[in-house]
Amino acid sequence: MTMKLTTDPSAATLLPIAKKEGVSTVWDRHRAMQPQCGFGQLGVCCRICWKGPCRIDPFGDGPQRGICGADADTIVARNVIRMIAAGAAGHSEHGRHVALALQGVAEGRLPAYQIRDEAKLRAVAAKLDICTEGQDIPAIAAAVAKATLEDFQNQDHDAPCNWIEASLTKKRLERLQALHVLPHNIDAVITQIMGRTLVGCDADPVNLILGGIKGALADFDGMCLATELSDALFGTPSPVITAANLGVIKPDAVNIAVHGHNPLLSEVVCEVAGQMDEEARKAGAKDGINIVGICCTGNEVMVRHGIPLAANYLSQELALITGAVDAMVVDVQCIMPSVSEIGACFHTAVITTMAENKIPGATHVDFKEETALESARRIVATAIDAYKRRDPRRVNIPDFKQTAIVGFGVESVVGALATLNAEDPLQPLIENIANGNIRGIALFAGCNSTQVAQDSSFVTMAKKLAANNVLMLATGCGAGSFAKHGLMTQEATLEYAGDSLKAVLTAIGTSAGLNGPLPLVLHMGSCVDNSRAVQVAVAVADKLGVDLDQLPLVASAPEAMSEKAVAIGTWSVALGIPTHLGTMPQVTGSAKVTELLTQTAKDLLGGYFLVELDPNLAADKLLEVIEERRKGLGI
Amino acid sequence: MKRQRENAIVFADPERCLGCHGCELACAVAHSGTGLHQAALSGLTLRPRNKVVAAGGVMMPVQCRQCEDAPCAAACPTGAMLQESGQVGVREKNCVGCKVCVMVCPFGAISVKHEGSDPESCRTNGGVARKCDLCAGTGRGLPACVEACPTKALSLVDLEEYRQTLIEARAAELAQSLQHLKSRKARI
Ligand code: SF4
Ligand code: SF4
Ligand code: SF4
Repeated sequence: MTMKLTTDPSAATLLPIAKKEGVSTVWDRHRAMQPQCGFGQLGVCCRICWKGPCRIDPFGDGPQRGICGADADTIVARNVIRMIAAGAAGHSEHGRHVALALQGVAEGRLPAYQIRDEAKLRAVAAKLDICTEGQDIPAIAAAVAKATLEDFQNQDHDAPCNWIEASLTKKRLERLQALHVLPHNIDAVITQIMGRTLVGCDADPVNLILGGIKGALADFDGMCLATELSDALFGTPSPVITAANLGVIKPDAVNIAVHGHNPLLSEVVCEVAGQMDEEARKAGAKDGINIVGICCTGNEVMVRHGIPLAANYLSQELALITGAVDAMVVDVQCIMPSVSEIGACFHTAVITTMAENKIPGATHVDFKEETALESARRIVATAIDAYKRRDPRRVNIPDFKQTAIVGFGVESVVGALATLNAEDPLQPLIENIANGNIRGIALFAGCNSTQVAQDSSFVTMAKKLAANNVLMLATGCGAGSFAKHGLMTQEATLEYAGDSLKAVLTAIGTSAGLNGPLPLVLHMGSCVDNSRAVQVAVAVADKLGVDLDQLPLVASAPEAMSEKAVAIGTWSVALGIPTHLGTMPQVTGSAKVTELLTQTAKDLLGGYFLVELDPNLAADKLLEVIEERRKGLGI
Repeated sequence: MKRQRENAIVFADPERCLGCHGCELACAVAHSGTGLHQAALSGLTLRPRNKVVAAGGVMMPVQCRQCEDAPCAAACPTGAMLQESGQVGVREKNCVGCKVCVMVCPFGAISVKHEGSDPESCRTNGGVARKCDLCAGTGRGLPACVEACPTKALSLVDLEEYRQTLIEARAAELAQSLQHLKSRKARI
C-alpha cells in the first residue's frame, strides 16, 4: 500500500523529528488504521438502534436488509443526511454565537466588543429589509440581531429564514420553494433530520435526501449570517499582505497559535496580546508576542488583521512539533484531540475555551463574552508562563514561509473592480467572462484529508485551472494550502495564469493600487465565508438576469473530510453549482443515493456532485463543465 | 523427487475475532478485479470465499483448510480441484458446477453460484466452484482477509515455519530447565 502523506515542505523537517521523539502524528495513525472498513466506506453500516449494528452486503450475496428491514438505500441516505445535520449544527452554532454577541453589544452588555464596521451593519440591515432611518447604531444592531435570531425561532413552516431569503436569486428561491426544501428555522430543520432518521421513520431515500438538502440550506443560512455579522463586529476583510507556513513561528517570541473556527475569542486574544507585549519581553522574549493562526480561526484573523497562518488542518500537529509554540488556544471544530498529548511532549499549553469543547489533558479557560478580556489575559499570561519553560534545544522551526495577499471579501472584490468602473463595478467582471478572458469561476473550499497527500490536489487543480484562465476563489483549509504553497502571490499570477486571465488580474490589481496583478487565488476567508463567494455569484446572476445554475461557476472540495464539507457541498449543489469532490463520499453502497446526488440533482437543482479522485482529471472535468455552461449562455 | 511441503492455511483466532465481516468484504473485493467503490457502483455480485460464523459462543471466519488429502479433489469428476503450488486449486475452466466438492468438504468451504451479470445462454447458470485460494493470482503479498482484519485475528500460516517456531520454543524451555537442574546439582 503506498501511503500518501503531505506536500507541505515543513513536514520533511518535522516528521523525522516526530519519529525520533516517538510522537505519533495524524499520518502514523492513518497508517495504523489501514485497511479501513469497507462497509463504512460504502456507508452501508447502520448503528441507529440497539438491535444493530447492521450492515448490508453490498455485493448481493449476504443480507440485503437490516434487522428492521432498512435496505442499503435507506441506510446510506440516513447516514449522509445525519452528517449534513451535524455540519449545519456546527456552522449555525457558530452563527448563533455571533448573533447573540451582536445582541449583547446592542444592549451594551459586552465591554470587550463593539461594532467595528458600521457601514457593514447598515448594509446588512438594508439587505434584511430593516428600516434604519433615524436609528442609531445600537438600535440597528438590536434589530439585525432580532431578525437573525428569528432564523432560529420561527415556527411558521411556510416562511423561509430571513437570511436565505435575502441571499439568493429570486429564481433560485422559487425553485427551492417548489421542492419544499427552503428552511424556515435552522434549529427545527436540524432537529427534523434527527427525527426523521430515527429507527422506524423516514425510509424513502429520495425523501430523506430532500430533507438533507433542506438541512444543507439551513447550513447555508447559518453561514451567511455568521460571516456578515462577524464583519460588522470585527471588520470587513480587505486585502493585506501576510505570510503562511510554519516559518511564521518566531524563535524569539512568545508564540500563541489560535486554532479552531470562531472569531469571538481570537479577536480578543489578539487585542490583549498587543497590550501584554511588554510582559512577554520582560520574560525574555525579545520579539514580544507573536500570534499565528491555524485552520479557520487562523483564516478569520488572517483576512481581517493580516495575522500569519502557520498551518491548515493536517499540519496542526506539526506546529507543536516545532517546539516553539507556547500556547495553542482552541475553540471549536477541526481541533485534533491529539494536540493535548503532543503539547504535553513539549512545554506547550493547550488551552480549550468553550464549555462544549474540552480535551482531556488540556487546560480549560472558560470563555464568556461578558468576561472575554479577563479570559484573554489569563490565556496570554499562561502562554508567557509556558514560554519560560521552553527548551531552546528542542526548537526546530522549518525555514518555510510564503508571502500571501489575502482578504478578498465581496466588498474588496467589488472595491477593486470599482477602480475600473466606479458606476457599475461588476461590469468589468461580467465583460471579461463574456468575452472569454475569464472562462469561468471556481470556488475551492476547505479541508485536508489523509486520503490525499496534503495540499497536493488543491495545488495541482489550481495550476491547471489558472492556465485555462479560470478565476479562483478559496476559503478554509483550501485557502490555507494555497497560501502555504505560494499561490496567493502576484508572482504566482505571472507564473501560472493563462494570458487572458493574467491580463485581467493585472488590470484590476494595478488600478486598485497593488502595483501588479491580483494574486492567483483570492482568499475569501474561513469555511463559513463560502457564503461570500455565493454573494458574488448572486450579484453577477442578478445583473445578468439569470439563475446560479446558468453561470460558468463550479465548486471543488478536493480534499474534503468534515461533516461540514458534506453540508457545504450539498448546499452548493442545491444552489445550482456543479461541485467536485476529490475524496470518495461514503455513499457508493447505494446506487440510488449515488444517482440522486450525481445525476438526478442536475434536473432538480441544476447543480450536482462530480466525484473524481485524480486532480488532473478533475480539473479537466471542471473545465468541461465551464465550457458547457458558457455554451448554454451563448458566450 | 517432489519436495514435500504442507499447504499454507489461513488460521483464525476465535479469541480475537469481532465478527465484523471485514475479511469477507476484503475477500470479495480482492477477487473482483476492481476496487471497492467501483464494484459497488457497477452493481457486481461478488462472493467472499470465507464466511464468518458464530456457534457455541465462538465467532470466526471459516474457509478452506487446503487439505493435504483433499476430499474435494478426490471427489471432483472433472479434475477441476487439484493440488497446485502449495494449495488446493480450482481449475475454473474444468469445473462443471456439479457440487460434489460442496458435499464432501467437511467445512462447507466451497460454494457454486453464478456471479456478475445474468448467464448469457439458457444452457448454463454460469456457476463455478469458489473457495479460498489464498489470494493466489491477485498479486498481493498477504491474503486480503489477513490484511483487512482489524484485530489481527487472521494469519497466514506456513506450517513449516509454524512447526519450526513451536519446536524452538519447546527446546528453549527444555534447555532452561536443564540449566536449572545443572545449577542445582552444582550447588549441592
Ligand atoms: S435501525 Fe434497522 S438497520 Fe439500523 S441498526 Fe437498527 S435494525 Fe439495524
Ligand atoms: S475481519 Fe477479523 S474480526 Fe472481522 S470477522 Fe474477519 S476474522 Fe473476525
Ligand atoms: S475445499 Fe474443503 S475439502 Fe477441499 S481442500 Fe478446502 S477444506 Fe479441504
